[in-house]
Amino acid sequence: MRKSSLILASIGTLLLLTGIYLAFFVTPEIVVRIEGEEVAQFSQKIFYFHVPVAWVSLLFFIIGGIFGIMFLIKFLIKREQSYDQKGYAAVEIGFLFGILVMITGVLWTRADWSVWWDWDPRLTTYLILMLVYAGYFALRSSVQEDSTKARFSAVYAIIAAINVPLTFWAGRLEALKPVHPVVFKISGASMEGPMLAAFLVSMLGMTLFAFSLFLMRLDLLRASEELDYLKEQVEVV
Amino acid sequence: MSGGKQILAIIKKDIIAELRTKEMVISMLIFVILAMIIFSQAFNAAEKSLVEFGGGLLWVAFLFTSMLGLNRSFVHEKDEGCLEGLLMSPVDRPLIFFGKMLGNLIFLMVVEVIAIPIFLVLFGLNIGASLIGPFVAAILLGNIGISSVGTLLSTISINTKTRDLMLPILFLPIIIPLLIAAVGATGGIISGDREQLVSAYAAMRFMAVYDIIFLLVAYALYDFVIGE
Repeated sequence: MRKSSLILASIGTLLLLTGIYLAFFVTPEIVVRIEGEEVAQFSQKIFYFHVPVAWVSLLFFIIGGIFGIMFLIKFLIKREQSYDQKGYAAVEIGFLFGILVMITGVLWTRADWSVWWDWDPRLTTYLILMLVYAGYFALRSSVQEDSTKARFSAVYAIIAAINVPLTFWAGRLEALKPVHPVVFKISGASMEGPMLAAFLVSMLGMTLFAFSLFLMRLDLLRASEELDYLKEQVEVV
Repeated sequence: MSGGKQILAIIKKDIIAELRTKEMVISMLIFVILAMIIFSQAFNAAEKSLVEFGGGLLWVAFLFTSMLGLNRSFVHEKDEGCLEGLLMSPVDRPLIFFGKMLGNLIFLMVVEVIAIPIFLVLFGLNIGASLIGPFVAAILLGNIGISSVGTLLSTISINTKTRDLMLPILFLPIIIPLLIAAVGATGGIISGDREQLVSAYAAMRFMAVYDIIFLLVAYALYDFVIGE
């Protein structure tokens, strides 16, 4: 393992553990008024995990698109493949965290709205995004030739990344009624003190942890490519 | 030849090929009418008013019909070796995109011109005379999005192992934002309600932005998708 990914992983893990500690033992429980009665919402604690995971997943989808653009630019100058691996690893990380977003989201909706699923804009949007990126993997497995696979995946990753904000925008149109809570508005965050601290620590920890996973995955992809190459050499001899 | 003439030449080629066989437009037309009959049976249209989800039914039918045409338009090119000819001809590759995209748009619109009146009659829906303009605009905006994203993605899918099976998997999730807006726009216009019209126009603005973005992106990326 590379030193950089090891360092990132350990700092990330430490921050994540701190975030969990802060979330459960330091931050106050949110109290909401339901029909005149004050109800403490323990389920809100998942927010310190759910939102960082969602942020990381969207971040890596966008990074995947940027690697797609860089691949195509490099491809024009010299036929180089390295950005294909980077793009693939980024989309994989995004997808992995996307699955976590869905799982934590569904757990929370069950606890708070007492249903497993609701056709809320954000939930629907996320489900659509996951299907867009499922298409990415289907596309990759359906092309045999390496350079064609790399070109097609780069193009599709760019389209998919552009689709991310568009899907969120479409979800805001009148057609769907929003119920998902909005914590961050343009006017600023509706959080303060220990809650904001716990949240920021978790955000940073999750981001660093995800980057370490990305670097490890990239090393793995390179190693497996090298292995394929060596196998070919042995067969030739 | 200038760019415009090159595009026109590609469109003309597709139209002539289609006029000789007429297989694509006719099968799309039969398909779209069949889809409407299936909807009317599945949703028990005789008993309920369809004003509420008329827009949705219309776009689901058009979306699936368009995929029929999109697949067809490249299966031909690929199987008959026509694509190589097109690539070897002195035409700028991004212009091939506009040629194919406009061809797909024309075929889809020919089918819709016949299918929309049938749809309105079959489901007993009315569009006020003053709303015909916005209705046509909403349909057109939807079609432009479908054919620009569809042309790019069907060029990709036809070059994969699974070929036409790949198109729905790539195309449908990317087109869903447009579908949400299109359903909102046509649904609002069909209802004729003043409040719903406001959100219908907001949805149409979204469709226009979506169309412009994907026209430009598809134009920029087409070179990487078609041929070596």
